Amino acid sequence: MITAQQKPIDEIRGMLVPYKRILVLGCASCVAECAAGGQKETAMLASTLRMKAKMNNEDVIIQEHTLDRQCVKDFVVTLDDIIGSYDAVLSLGCGAGVQAVAEMFSEIPVIPGLNTEFIGETRAQGLWVENCLGCGDCMLYYFGGVCPLARCSKQLFNGPCGGSVGGKCEINPDVDCAWQKIIDRLSRFGALDRLETIYPPKNWSRKQGGGPRKIIREDQQR
Amino acid sequence: MHYQHNRTLALFYCQNVPGAGERERIGLEKEYGQCIRFYPIACSGRLEPVHLLSALENFADAAYLITCPEGMCRYFEGNLRAIKRVMRTQDIISGIGLEKERVGIITGSKEGPKTLAELAKEIFDKVLQMEPSPVLGKGERSYDYCATEAH
Amino acid sequence: MKDVSRLKSVLEKGGFAVTSECGPPKGADPQAVLRKTELLRGKVDSVNVTDNQTAIVRMSSLAACCLIKKAGLDPVLQMVVRDRNRIALQSDILGASAIGIRNVLCLSGDHQSFGNQPDAVGVFDLDSIQFVQAVRNMRDQGIIVGGEPLSHPPDMFTGAAANPFADPMDFRVVRLAKKINAGADFIQTQCIYNMERFDRWLGIARDRGLTEKAYILGGVTPLKSAGMARYMKTRVSGMDVPDQLIRRMEGVSKDKQREEGISICVETIERLKQTPGIRGVHIMAIEWEEAVGEIAERAGLLPRPVIDDQ
Ligand code: SF4
Ligand code: SF4
Repeated sequence: MITAQQKPIDEIRGMLVPYKRILVLGCASCVAECAAGGQKETAMLASTLRMKAKMNNEDVIIQEHTLDRQCVKDFVVTLDDIIGSYDAVLSLGCGAGVQAVAEMFSEIPVIPGLNTEFIGETRAQGLWVENCLGCGDCMLYYFGGVCPLARCSKQLFNGPCGGSVGGKCEINPDVDCAWQKIIDRLSRFGALDRLETIYPPKNWSRKQGGGPRKIIREDQQR
Repeated sequence: MHYQHNRTLALFYCQNVPGAGERERIGLEKEYGQCIRFYPIACSGRLEPVHLLSALENFADAAYLITCPEGMCRYFEGNLRAIKRVMRTQDIISGIGLEKERVGIITGSKEGPKTLAELAKEIFDKVLQMEPSPVLGKGERSYDYCATEAH
Repeated sequence: MKDVSRLKSVLEKGGFAVTSECGPPKGADPQAVLRKTELLRGKVDSVNVTDNQTAIVRMSSLAACCLIKKAGLDPVLQMVVRDRNRIALQSDILGASAIGIRNVLCLSGDHQSFGNQPDAVGVFDLDSIQFVQAVRNMRDQGIIVGGEPLSHPPDMFTGAAANPFADPMDFRVVRLAKKINAGADFIQTQCIYNMERFDRWLGIARDRGLTEKAYILGGVTPLKSAGMARYMKTRVSGMDVPDQLIRRMEGVSKDKQREEGISICVETIERLKQTPGIRGVHIMAIEWEEAVGEIAERAGLLPRPVIDDQ
């Protein structure tokens, strides 16, 4: 899923200065799972903003609403009935959600309330870790199911670097060395020889190198 | 006893706290009138920051939570989670310039457990020392809000 | 005068090579490079020029190499893949070759979070092994990544680094083998303080025939003080400084510690000279270039051989 964290309240308020009727718009999918933009967090942020507005005697209306998925047009359309009452949307969707709303409602400013972080996994309650960069050409087979792009600090295809010590990455002892994990896993499967050959330069055109990406599936179209 | 009506405390408490039965609550509500709003909850771990925030936004000068004593939580670690959530709520309100002390948590002690009545008095005395909340202003409090979702 | 790699000539003639390093200044003064270079003249065969080491912005390695080359020494151009994508890396190899630089050391580079530009993006388009391979393909086959031909191939004696002291232990030799298979002509190792561990690593490399396929230069760094020894042990990842060595440094008074550091370094070189499969030494005297001459002298590495064709 996509992970995100709420922006600092002062930054959010700074962006909202020109607006008087604000819809705080949550998303009940990924950003709810990572406790950043779900219904609960949307209610919290809206309440916090209203309190601050009251403290400052600001004359604003702040209301909240949460969509099941902010990045899917079919859900975004449902805003049609209510969006006219507002002069700005503070979106608690990921970057894709913010833009999906903006794409559909071109007259209304859509302000991001979150910092979208990464594609990751909920490893434990309150712990999310990055493990995929969406490179468009998955290599996990070669690397024993551990992604060297997302999880090695230097994106080594032929690691580990000389700073790997005791399973930890040289950049920070809190970071696991991806290459230690790759080697451990492959040796468990008796497939360490996979790493003897040199992994060739990556085709980045499948990621950002080819410009913005698009997937078109005619069989899925109406 | 009579209390002046320009401070309100939202008091959430675990039903495991001694003296927290239905009858006692009704007695306390009579005593404090609108000054303390009592919200019994099945487990303090179920309290969400949004409950504390709504109370502060709508009627309360302070919002406190009383948990069962450490190690006595029926739901294992509910009271420990509650501490973290209260801390998070404190961070949120201090982010908008409200004093952290407007939100707090009291964990009952196993050795000398205090009753709900004792704790309510202690906390409310503290609230009386505070300035009225800048969210609500200095005047009389209005009570049309009910934070029922906390129940 | 034909541009040739002095490092390559010495090694090919069977000599025990000596290299050292020069870190370019955090400024644009060419004299800062040349002053350091003078301290090394006649004491070493070639001078490695570091590439924004520890991710701190410094004079470019390529430019500093050019200055050193003009001063008549043989530079080794260090290049990290942290800051340049494959277009820039390959282009700089062509440029370096055009101005007569004949050695390159292909490295990953320290992570940008360590330096004075922690907000920078890390490029890491190629990794160091892919980069070695790219350089070798440019030189030997005249092609760039993707296979397009060059109008004129670069001439580069190509090296890579190896750290025998990092984890996972068993995989270290595999990685060395990959670097050599990728085309590394020479290997410079991380500084050696734990000779036993180094010998174990080298033994496996020898058994795999790797010491026959590439020239391996052992890295050494003289310790300036007991404090530096402790720092290297605890704070620099992938560095193995045995306690016994730290105690030895602590055993002498503060004003004698530099001398003791040099002695340890000389002893290590003496052992490396006796080690089959080791073809030279890389002396990294960090901000202490003055020490290199003394170390080379005491380790019996002087005078450096004269290479006729230069
Ligand atoms: S290889 Fe690519 S697609 Fe696969 S996990 Fe890594 S970044 Fe994601
Ligand atoms: S220590 Fe491991 S994870 Fe960190 S950069 Fe090196 S190989 Fe990658």
